[in-house]
Amino acid sequence: MIGVLVKIAWRNIVRNRRRSLMTASAVAAGALAMLLFLGYTTYIFLGMETGNVQHLGHLRVFRAGYFLYGAGNPSAYGIDGYREVMRSIGADPVLEPMIRVLTPTQSLMGIAANYRGDNAASRTFFGEGIIPSDRDRMLRWDQYHTGIYHPLDPPMADADESRGLIGTGLARILNLCAPLALPECPPAPAAAPPPGEHPGKVNADIAELAGRDVPQGGRAPGGAQIDLLAATVGGAPNVVSLNVIGAQPQGAKELDDAYVLMHLALAQQLVYGREEHKITAIVLQLKDSRYLSAARARLNALFRERHLDLEVRDFAELVPFYGQVIRLFSSIFLFIALVMGMIVLFAVVNTMTMNVMERINEIGTSRAMGVRRSRIRAQFLIEGTLIGLIGTAVGAALAIAIAALVNRSGITWIPPGNATAIPLHLDVLGRPLRALGICAGLVLVATAAALLPANRAARLSVVDALRHI
Amino acid sequence: MQLEAMPPVVRLTHVSRTYQAGALEVRALDDLTLEIPPGRFSVVIGASGSGKTTLLNLIGCIDAPSAGAVEVCQQKVAELDDDAVADFRARNIGFIFQTFSLIPVLSAYENVEYPLLLVGMPGPERRRRTLAMLEAVGLAAQAQRRPNELSGGQKQRVAIARALVKQPQLVLADEPTANLDSATGASIISLMRRVQADSHTTFIFATHDPQLMSHADEIFAIRDGALLEHRGSAS
Amino acid sequence: MSGASSAVRSLGAALLAAGAALTVTAALADSPSAQEIIAATDRVRNPGEPFRSTVTLTEYVGGSERNHDRLVVFSKEDRATHQFRNLVHYVDPPRDAGKKVLLDGHSLWFFDPASNVSIRISAQQRLIGQAAIGDVLTVNLGVDYTATLTGAETIKDAARADRNCWHLDLKAANDQAVYAHVEYWVEQGTNYPIKGKFYSDSGRLLKILYYRSFAPELGAVRPTEAVIIDAVDTSLATTAAFGDYRSADIPDAWFQRDYLPRLQVQ
Repeated sequence: MIGVLVKIAWRNIVRNRRRSLMTASAVAAGALAMLLFLGYTTYIFLGMETGNVQHLGHLRVFRAGYFLYGAGNPSAYGIDGYREVMRSIGADPVLEPMIRVLTPTQSLMGIAANYRGDNAASRTFFGEGIIPSDRDRMLRWDQYHTGIYHPLDPPMADADESRGLIGTGLARILNLCAPLALPECPPAPAAAPPPGEHPGKVNADIAELAGRDVPQGGRAPGGAQIDLLAATVGGAPNVVSLNVIGAQPQGAKELDDAYVLMHLALAQQLVYGREEHKITAIVLQLKDSRYLSAARARLNALFRERHLDLEVRDFAELVPFYGQVIRLFSSIFLFIALVMGMIVLFAVVNTMTMNVMERINEIGTSRAMGVRRSRIRAQFLIEGTLIGLIGTAVGAALAIAIAALVNRSGITWIPPGNATAIPLHLDVLGRPLRALGICAGLVLVATAAALLPANRAARLSVVDALRHI
Repeated sequence: MQLEAMPPVVRLTHVSRTYQAGALEVRALDDLTLEIPPGRFSVVIGASGSGKTTLLNLIGCIDAPSAGAVEVCQQKVAELDDDAVADFRARNIGFIFQTFSLIPVLSAYENVEYPLLLVGMPGPERRRRTLAMLEAVGLAAQAQRRPNELSGGQKQRVAIARALVKQPQLVLADEPTANLDSATGASIISLMRRVQADSHTTFIFATHDPQLMSHADEIFAIRDGALLEHRGSAS
Repeated sequence: MSGASSAVRSLGAALLAAGAALTVTAALADSPSAQEIIAATDRVRNPGEPFRSTVTLTEYVGGSERNHDRLVVFSKEDRATHQFRNLVHYVDPPRDAGKKVLLDGHSLWFFDPASNVSIRISAQQRLIGQAAIGDVLTVNLGVDYTATLTGAETIKDAARADRNCWHLDLKAANDQAVYAHVEYWVEQGTNYPIKGKFYSDSGRLLKILYYRSFAPELGAVRPTEAVIIDAVDTSLATTAAFGDYRSADIPDAWFQRDYLPRLQVQ
């Protein structure tokens, strides 16, 4: 019985091919728009996730309170005996198979200064101390095959603690454009003396004293060596030298103007000085993002068991921007879905109403022959569903084809929070369940849209319907 | 003969049917009482608006009386709900319409097969019956044609096959020859007369067509919703 | 809080007075112990009683004078920690007049009469500028450092005159010590502090300090000027001139943060 209903529905669609085409086109346009946008957001989400996981890892273990209160003074929240904690995490039978990289990191703040040459310059910096080889391994994480890999350039070495990289903005501020041979990096204009302060005559006495023990005007200008000043945990002023081997652009300007990436040992030397060397965070990069919640739960259990006052945070918590972008794109998607859903709804309602109106006599005949009301309703619902299915299938096929074209075209763009352009990629099938959900949703909307006309058809009085020619 | 002893296939008792046409109440049938015996070729005649279509609709269980009782095939129709009435029609009543009313997207074969699907007949039996029925109306060669590829007479033959294929107790035909030229009409009438004779199915017609009246076993003349005259072989 | 930085920049003077007030043991005539030398030189720098003094800070960039501050400092030894607590009152320039700073051990409070609030200055905020010199001058050598005698050495003092000195090597003795390592030269016989070199935990030379203009003040001959040379930003130098030492009866209540708004200095 259902067979003949589908047969009648299908043949009516073919019979009204122009009208059906228009309606199916609306559905196809909806599917196309939503799937392409899904592909785009999937690409962005996976790209952002990849970037975050590459730089931050999936999970970070902090001393309790750091996440909420520590940002202003990272050095005050060092993890005691971190080597032992890392050993127990690395040896845990649950965590061990999930972990790809387990590495310590130290966050720090201070003043970066370049006192060489004529233009002395200094600025507050935000720094990260890392193990270079671990960082490089982290940067190679690419679960989603995005192809994103921006290595440290030039590479830092585990064996050379004095080397580091800084943000291009910071390099510019510290007059390192020339030593680092940075492109598009004009030297700073000569600083005007602050108002109200007139440089007096050179006091020969003081100048002589100052020059007696340390060479004036700094060491040879031209070297890209900067001084990093910070107060140690104990409050003592501390200074280390950093050989800046390169500058890497950072996404946000405020970070680009302040970022220093250095060897963990150098960061610890600066922050802890003569005291016990600790770290800010233990970084866990997992083999697969799906392990995240399991790994997190296990870490928490481990810390409870061992009475360690530590907390675990994932990258999404550490980068609120990530959640904001996801929410932004999700709301845009919702908007598109709403508009497309409305278009599909009206198109199908319109078409199905016309179909019902044209077939009133046929409906009367069928009812007289003994077809139940419910089957008349089913008849037209099936028609709506079929239109939805056809449109969705066409839209999906088009979306996949267009995505393939775009992906092959080599278009590049700069995603939010990124500093460098990367190839645009539409990942339509990257999240298959969502793609399926979109298609199913459109078919459902088409079916639901047919409900109103179908009910009308089912409610017709047989006598009136038969009288209708 | 045996048929004469059987209970009537249609029994109307004091049946009235009124319609609301705006503020006006139209009385299509007025206190009509009649019985139609089984196995007859009966004709309802009357002018346009006399109420003969309303009478056929009530007998066909696609309309309900405003007053009185309708009993078809010993079933009090008022006792059945909507779905049950639909199933009842599917089993017991065949319709033939003036405008043929075939389902345009189905072939002749599929149109004839449709009523058998409604009663849930298994495939092989369905196919055999459908083909036999098409053979009987002389359309075996046109089985795969769509209605728009058939002539008026052929369409009405398909409609007759569709009405009879399920072997109903009752076939109702409202002006079945009105849209046909007289020669085709005559061939349709003789076809119906033949299948009626073969199957002993009760046929009830509403018509103006004098050709049809001449074939009738029984004639009910209706005027203004009331039975004016009942002519026929005495029961 | 624009006043905060400029006020804090001038802190060195206040801190200068805060030295160790150690009970000096009788020095052995020929071979004084390193600790004894340090104690003696602490005594040269700081009077053994509560006092007030006037400090003039002058900042030099590339040898040229840049900035000038005058302050009044009240200093008193904390009997528990043997460290001086200092209360600094700004007198000049006029835009800073009335600002006050309280230094008690490692904590530093700044009070701005314009906003009438006291805020805490963190160690991080004392990294550069002249606030940093405070740490050089507060060095509580005798208490916070363990001294060893490296030997006798003749060095040139601030005025290029030769001085026969004890060369002392000081290592941080506790967490309160600001510097990991200090080199110190003290003139033999007079125990005058002549020169100091201060190193960070990382081993970098941070500051070089010269004392000069020795003159009688409050019962002893004391250095009346310090020249502090920044060894990181080598273009920076600061002089701190001390004068007008007066013995003063300073109530302990003054050295409380809550008291800062109420303190009036004539």
